[in-house]
Amino acid sequence: MLGIAEIGRYIPNVRVSNVEKLAKFELDEDFLKNKLGVLSQSIKDEDEKTSDLCVKAFYDLEQKTEINKEDIECCIVVTQNPDYNIPHTSAIVHGKLALEESCACFDISLGCSGYVYGLSTIIAFMQNNGMKKGLLFTADPYSEIIDHDDKNTDLLFGDAATVTLISTEALYKPVDFSFGTKGKEYQQLLCDKKLYMNGRAVFNFTATVVPKHIQNLMQKNNLSDDQIGRYILHQGSRFIVDTITKRLKIAQEKVPFNMLEYGNTVSSSIPLILAEEMKSEHSYMLLSGYGVGLSWASTILQKVEGK
Amino acid sequence: MKVTTDDILEVIESAEVVADTKSLQNDIKLTDQGVDSLDIVNIYLLLEEKFDIKIPDEDLSQVTTVNDIVEYVNSKL
Repeated sequence: MLGIAEIGRYIPNVRVSNVEKLAKFELDEDFLKNKLGVLSQSIKDEDEKTSDLCVKAFYDLEQKTEINKEDIECCIVVTQNPDYNIPHTSAIVHGKLALEESCACFDISLGCSGYVYGLSTIIAFMQNNGMKKGLLFTADPYSEIIDHDDKNTDLLFGDAATVTLISTEALYKPVDFSFGTKGKEYQQLLCDKKLYMNGRAVFNFTATVVPKHIQNLMQKNNLSDDQIGRYILHQGSRFIVDTITKRLKIAQEKVPFNMLEYGNTVSSSIPLILAEEMKSEHSYMLLSGYGVGLSWASTILQKVEGK
Repeated sequence: MKVTTDDILEVIESAEVVADTKSLQNDIKLTDQGVDSLDIVNIYLLLEEKFDIKIPDEDLSQVTTVNDIVEYVNSKL
């Protein structure tokens, strides 16, 4: 059974302080900390490409688990900020890591729901093709597309990358997925040279759609709140995570929050947290991503027996 | 049935954005009484859900005080 074996992470060391921008945007530190949930943003070097972030996440994965590159049969990159329009970034990552020529590579164009979509895609693809080891990367460096005069987005996003090792030697395996799209509202979060976000529309979407979607997925799988050890929600902002938590009527302790020092890292936010939970003993964890599209996706992970 | 000031204060209370809604002044902008830009968005959503109405972005200037909101919601029902 294919599932998640380990997760590597890369968060650039360079931090830009939001506290220094408070006067410019007429905000206070309490708002930064308790509403946005971002005191500083992780920012990549200007000459660092998305593929470079992926490669650094892979180096972290190598530190955590023994991995033979010749065993990797599949390499997928989730990004909407590729190195180039052509070719796909996964091919560049493949080259930089010197993976085998027999390794399949493709990209997935999704934002904050991308990790969950990516998990479903890579596992299905590997199962269909009899593969045993694959890599799912996430890297979406928004620092390249931020309008620094836009209060709605300038304080929110950070750069990061992750890589998830999918293998038959898994610690957690997905038991079910659920997806959704509101394509008529695509313009609420889009990039035409610079990022634009209608904060109210995105908030209304997440607050009204995501809690019901999560509850439906749990009901479908006959799972109650006391069986779910962690709800790993996309770290859109502190306000959004808190709102979903309240609407689900679940304990805050079950909902990790970790974006304070580096910001909203788009498709990387869920695996950044999941990496810390891989050795945990939760029977079930629920992952939920939502944003650009407008798109949402959730999955339930189950601990593999004996792991 | 007409929506009252108390009905609106009840919605604001459910948003948990001010310590005591009784201390709010009904003719002063909520954003000038400790309600920040995210809290107000949450209040608008709760109003939409409670009264089954839509408050489009272009109407937001009409719903800045408690009195405004009472009048606006009644005009939509």
